[in-house]
Amino acid sequence: MEYWNDESEPIRAFVSLFETAKTDEDLRNGLRKVNQLIWFDYTQDGPNCSFHVDCRGGNLLISAGKPGEDPDLTMSLSADDAHRSWSNKLNPVMAITRKKIRVKGSATGLLRLAPKLKKVAKIYETVLRDLGWEEKILK
Amino acid sequence: MQYPPIEFEPFFTWLNRPRIMYSPGVRSEVGFEMGELGGSKVAVYTDRGLVDAGVAEMVIEEVRKSDLELAGVFDNIVQDARIENINEGAAFYRSCSADCMIAVGGGSVMDTAKAVNILIGEGSDDFQPLAEQAGLWEGARPLPPHLAFPTTAGTGSEVTNAVVVLDEKAQAKLSITHPYNADIAMLDPELTVRLPPKITAFTGMDALTHAIEGVTSTAAEPIGDALGLHAIRLIFTYLPLAVEEPENITARGNMLIASTLAGLCFGNTMTGGVHATAHGLGAQYHIPHGLANAIMLPIVMDFNAEEAAERYLMIADAMGLPLDAMDASDAAGAAVQAVIDLKAKIGLTESRKDFNVPMEKEKLMPMAELAAGDSQVSYNPRYLEEEDILKLYLKAF
Repeated sequence: MEYWNDESEPIRAFVSLFETAKTDEDLRNGLRKVNQLIWFDYTQDGPNCSFHVDCRGGNLLISAGKPGEDPDLTMSLSADDAHRSWSNKLNPVMAITRKKIRVKGSATGLLRLAPKLKKVAKIYETVLRDLGWEEKILK
Repeated sequence: MQYPPIEFEPFFTWLNRPRIMYSPGVRSEVGFEMGELGGSKVAVYTDRGLVDAGVAEMVIEEVRKSDLELAGVFDNIVQDARIENINEGAAFYRSCSADCMIAVGGGSVMDTAKAVNILIGEGSDDFQPLAEQAGLWEGARPLPPHLAFPTTAGTGSEVTNAVVVLDEKAQAKLSITHPYNADIAMLDPELTVRLPPKITAFTGMDALTHAIEGVTSTAAEPIGDALGLHAIRLIFTYLPLAVEEPENITARGNMLIASTLAGLCFGNTMTGGVHATAHGLGAQYHIPHGLANAIMLPIVMDFNAEEAAERYLMIADAMGLPLDAMDASDAAGAAVQAVIDLKAKIGLTESRKDFNVPMEKEKLMPMAELAAGDSQVSYNPRYLEEEDILKLYLKAF
């Protein structure tokens, strides 16, 4: 991995990102509207390198690891590309055409949030700074 | 005009399918070309209007004259590609044991045919789960032979690898990409001369929107610029002529080429706020896509002008405007006015009253939310939030 020392680091960063993002009303409502159990799968970088977001039925629960039941949507990519993606530095079309992101299940709802990535990237920058990982911020 | 220093992303890819053939009467090559691709039993995909106008027959006649066998004609395609219609099209292909397809039509026909071919190639009979994945690149297989004859000069679908599908339940438009599209885009301007002036006008504005948004997209790069800017030159020269003189083959041919150039451009660099807002108008108020683009284009250009002034300067130059000592900001304003003037010249005077689009903010909000989540909105040169989109809709109507 280019940006991470071990598989726990990206999950710490991404879970913190979602926990912070859900305090933003716009992002919280947007995620709830997705109404799916989503697994962000980075296990190509380690067996425990993943987290999931359960936004079904008005919930918004974020946990490390694979969900206990079958996800509605799985987004598989590397932890480095996820870092680029949350930093709004990964062109989604390029990523799909070059098979950097693999999608299983209905991505329609989550893709509707793609235009919010600019806002998410700002939150991510703050999260990385708060975690003491300023050097990981992509310029 | 001196070419302004323009920045672009340091890394991009360019998708270069399909092969393109152009000539008035190029449809006569259909037998040879399909044979070269390995096809022998053809299913033709078109719509009832083109059958009634005798346009579909112009291609079907060439199939009959060739060594190809005509397996059947599926002419049930409706406005905007729809899942059920796509599934019916695939069932038809299988029921008549076709081994290749020809699409004859505008964007709805070509998008439906592309989706049918994906279903056939992937061995599936329901497009819904594929549509929901948005990108179908993982494990994608080459598809059966497919020739596309555009009968409008607007959509560019003959060269793009995207299928735009109307999700009737969500009243939203979905964009799905697959690495393989048509094998050959056959540009035969004789197929477009029966197109009524009004449809010629708004499909031409669709092509113009593709070119302008392709050149101003956040993913714009030099190859797209070259194609998009030349498309703009051709459209400003030939669209008024094609509307005024429907049988002018030179005008029709240049418009068909412009549409294809713009298709290659935006198929790679994507579009922006015009498409995002137009998709909402199409999905919720059934405004034809080209017309919806024509309505939103000057409004969104005006909104973007300051953010991408140097790109609009290149566009203004391609429009043939006398720029003299104008700075980029003034040139951007002139480009917006030129689009308004072009619309007036080709008779596009539609207003809100023609489509029953409400004026109340609350009623427009669902459409603004839809546009804010559209796949194309991220490519707009200026960041667009729901509130901005709402203002654009209010300004447009």
